[in-house]
Amino acid sequence: MPKLPTSGLQVLRRPTTSFTSTPSITTSPLLQPQPQPHHHNLLQVRHATFIPRHRRPYKFTQLVQLSDGSTYTVRTTSPLALYKSAKDTRNHILWQPTDKTLRNVEVDEAGKLAAFRERYGRGWDAEEPEQQVEQQQQKQDAATKQQESSDDPFDSLVGLISDFAASTNNNTSGGLSAKDQAKKDKGGKKK
Amino acid sequence: MASVRALSRPTRGLPLSQISRKTSASSRRWASSQAAAQVPLEDLEDSALDAPPLSEEEKRTFRPWKRQADRKFALPSGRYNYHAPKYDRGPLHPVQPLSSSEPTARDFVPGPFNLPRLRQTYLSTVASDIMTLTYSHVPPGTPKKETPQRLREWDDSSPYHKNRSLRAPRGAPVLPLIERDINFTNIPEIKEITLAAYSPAALQDMDNLLVARAALLAITGVLPEMTKTKSNVQQWKIRAGEFAGCKVTVRGNEAYEFLDRCVNLVFPKIKDWRGIKASTGDSSGNLAWGFTPEELKLFPEMEVNMGMYPPKMVPGCRVYVKTTATSDRQARLLLQSMGLPFYGEVKN
Repeated sequence: MPKLPTSGLQVLRRPTTSFTSTPSITTSPLLQPQPQPHHHNLLQVRHATFIPRHRRPYKFTQLVQLSDGSTYTVRTTSPLALYKSAKDTRNHILWQPTDKTLRNVEVDEAGKLAAFRERYGRGWDAEEPEQQVEQQQQKQDAATKQQESSDDPFDSLVGLISDFAASTNNNTSGGLSAKDQAKKDKGGKKK
Repeated sequence: MASVRALSRPTRGLPLSQISRKTSASSRRWASSQAAAQVPLEDLEDSALDAPPLSEEEKRTFRPWKRQADRKFALPSGRYNYHAPKYDRGPLHPVQPLSSSEPTARDFVPGPFNLPRLRQTYLSTVASDIMTLTYSHVPPGTPKKETPQRLREWDDSSPYHKNRSLRAPRGAPVLPLIERDINFTNIPEIKEITLAAYSPAALQDMDNLLVARAALLAITGVLPEMTKTKSNVQQWKIRAGEFAGCKVTVRGNEAYEFLDRCVNLVFPKIKDWRGIKASTGDSSGNLAWGFTPEELKLFPEMEVNMGMYPPKMVPGCRVYVKTTATSDRQARLLLQSMGLPFYGEVKN
């Protein structure tokens, strides 16, 4: 809010066009009895409106470089001359749905992941279609039966762990809102 | 010219008839052509371009900074300069404030310094695209559809109902907007963007308010204004009328730049971001979303100076995009064309 000057010495009066009714103009102010300031302290007289200066931060001209190398300038409060973006619309799957390099594809050239799955199952996978999980479970069951017959304590333990992981599927690492996560957890417990 | 003037001086005393008789003689004199023929360009002022170049010696002795240092008396200071009036004393006062477009005016804001990228895109492609997309052909001569009367009438059970204005609709005191067809005069555009941060922890520790203000100031480049709590809630330990947040409204170029920054730099950095919920909107073309404190820290202006903000005090904020669209459908179309993805069910 602009500050309003408070005038204690002047009587609150609407501006009038008839000069005869204003004795202060015709007579000297020295001859007039000065009104006491404390009588009028409560009244605020709007003779003038304060014109405030604008308060604004300094703005720099910044060059923004997107991840594909394209650049543009912006006016910003950030003092960096060049802002290089690592993640933006140019390398995000939501804005570039046709870009195959952005898809979440597993790179398994050495076959290590495949070997791991062959041995320990797919229970550790973050997300997987349910059919595959069931198939894997059946395989695992068959394998554990075989293993039980061979009576190897280590392998049976591994099978137990993988079975547990596949059944609970306790995926807490993002991708879901808190509500969805709670729902999922609840569903898992019911099973 | 001087010579011509000197010649004409003695003739001033003579009556006009004599002069006219003299000049009307057959030997008429053309003063300007005579002067041009005699000395070309003599009457021109001295040009700096004609001056001979400075010699090396002169260049060495030319030291204005030395002259300034040796000066005994200070030049008149800034208080002798013109200062725009500080108060607006009404239209009848002899001292009038300057227009805000004058550079010396107190409320002068320089700029604009750039045309934001998103606004360029809007002006060059988005606006015409929206107009073309939403075009629905009406054969000429088709009668105009009349909007139904949505206000209720009085039932005339009382004689005082006569000449009363119509009643507001049941349930809502305000009529929702009716969607208008888009034509070249009302292509939706972004009117303003309001950011509002509420940090109730400020009731205990005022530093929270300072951090919230600094964060919004950095993000938008406009000084936010403080907001107070509306109501008393015992359980939340809030009392009405205490400062507990801040808000800021950006318009024009700043709004476009803010939206551009959100779309291109901030949203892609948010983990597992799916878009903006399509059910947002107040059914009259204003859409909104929110930033959590963690998401707010992804803004480049916050990132660059993260040490300034105590990490636990950074608030989240709500963002309201107000458009000139008359329905959420049109507003969504506008924001989608500016690169904002939506997900989920559409409400209206």
